[in-house]
Amino acid sequence: MNNLLQQRIIIFSFLFIPVTLMLLFLIYPTIQLFHYSFTDWNGYSKTMSWVGFDNYKKLFFDFPDAWKAIRNNGLYFLIHTIAIPMELMTAVLLNRTLRGSSFFRFTVLMPYIINGVAVGYMFSYFYNPINGPLNGLLHALGMDALVHGWLSDLHIVNYSLVAVSLWRFCGVHVILFLAGLQSVPADLYEAAQLDGAGFWKQLRYVTMPGIRRVIEIILFLNVSGALLQYDIPYVMTGGGPGTASSTFGLFSLQTAFTFNNYGLASSMAVSLLLLIIVFSSLQNWIIKDRSEK
Amino acid sequence: MSQASLKRNSVLSGTAYYGNFILMTVIVFIPILLVVFGSFKTNQELGATSPFSLPSNWLNFDNYVNAYHDGGMLRGLKNTVLLVAGSLLGNVLLGTMTAYILNRFDFKLKKVVIALFLLAMIIPSYTTEIARFQLIHGLHLYNSLGAPTMIYIGTDIMQIYVYMQFLEKISQQLDESAMLDGASYFRIFRSIIFPLLLPATATLGILKSVTIMNDIYVQNLYMPSKELATLPTSLMSFVSERSSDLSELCAGIMLVLLPSIIFYIVFQRYIFKGLMDGAVKG
Repeated sequence: MNNLLQQRIIIFSFLFIPVTLMLLFLIYPTIQLFHYSFTDWNGYSKTMSWVGFDNYKKLFFDFPDAWKAIRNNGLYFLIHTIAIPMELMTAVLLNRTLRGSSFFRFTVLMPYIINGVAVGYMFSYFYNPINGPLNGLLHALGMDALVHGWLSDLHIVNYSLVAVSLWRFCGVHVILFLAGLQSVPADLYEAAQLDGAGFWKQLRYVTMPGIRRVIEIILFLNVSGALLQYDIPYVMTGGGPGTASSTFGLFSLQTAFTFNNYGLASSMAVSLLLLIIVFSSLQNWIIKDRSEK
Repeated sequence: MSQASLKRNSVLSGTAYYGNFILMTVIVFIPILLVVFGSFKTNQELGATSPFSLPSNWLNFDNYVNAYHDGGMLRGLKNTVLLVAGSLLGNVLLGTMTAYILNRFDFKLKKVVIALFLLAMIIPSYTTEIARFQLIHGLHLYNSLGAPTMIYIGTDIMQIYVYMQFLEKISQQLDESAMLDGASYFRIFRSIIFPLLLPATATLGILKSVTIMNDIYVQNLYMPSKELATLPTSLMSFVSERSSDLSELCAGIMLVLLPSIIFYIVFQRYIFKGLMDGAVKG
């Protein structure tokens, strides 16, 4: 067979399905999403009318529930961000091979790997108002004043859910930091030590530059994880009580599939998509290494 | 540093190490253990005793039997396995094929194709679900294992890049000498490229399995039929039917948790390798 012909055949036959799937399942829905966001479509009518920026106007100026939901995403982001330095310190402490270190790594990553739905219900049990372990513990310690309806109290429910999110996701950050720490060559530390650098100076001048890429990854995961947070509230509270613990993503789905307002829901999804892109490029820009220029 | 202060330092950091270690272990295992305790208690026992107390009868498997039958856990496991297997098969074949073409060949539209894949990678698949829902209906995939399978296959762009990075390191001379021996491109892919990518495939496949087993979003949205329930969605409907029977609920949680813990124990080497390599390479 002619070589050029053979090349064309294999290029076409190998790429046809993957490119079709990518266009069909990612590019096309994204274009449609933008399209829906400018219409008043309800999800089942044959017709829809063009409403310009009305959905966006409503979203920004006349939809307090959506703002409440995005504030909840903000809470996940904020508390997880506060936890990042602690995750790094944990990784620094653990970056050595002592007896039991493989069991430790196993334990730290476990919450992230095991089934998320089961984890959600596990914590629903933990928070159960009637004879749940948390209230039981508080009662046993004589701190009855602290006994709460952890998932029913409007002012507490989000913190309860963020705690579950911390339980589930901190470990994977520690493991990623560990990977970064182990990739820093040991002789750099020795050289720094010879120059008289102590623990903090080594952390600042050897460790931090050495794990910049890992820091980038974790910050990105932190932003997208907080903005896309969905399963923990979905499983544990369904966004309730009312919409108190809904997140933006969960709320956009409810707007579409429960309230049949596809236009508005699409404008929410578009905003979410743009937010993620803007935030993560902003973050990368902030921690970009400018010393090379 | 003097010998004595070195020694003191290592004792100190040893204490910090094990202090941290024990704290983390307690935080991770306590919630799981509490559910284990609850799952072996009768419902009356659960109401009457402290949640921290051990069950009176460790051989009380009644809750497990009920959760297993009424929750349809076997069917859930079967559907989860089918979903993972189908998606992995498609992913591995299409991923290696795409990476082979994009890494080894030059053609007119190559830049366009790569740009499209890059664009597709930036879009979080989850945000476009509202629009994809219509597409799935249009393709008559709604309420079938095909819907999540196609979505898992079609939206995983990351793996193509991982495969391409691997291919960078596989010398082109291998291809060329095979060409000289008269092998076709397809033959080169099948006998050289695909086998050499197997280590990457193992790691990617395990990580992908974890992602699929943890996803409820797509499974819940596209497969409402009870016959198609997977392990997590089975648990969700079991909980909504039995919300008051806490001890059975604990057993149901354990039945879904256990397969994932076993999977983790068996494949932990690949999971760590995949996560840690992904973080520091590339």
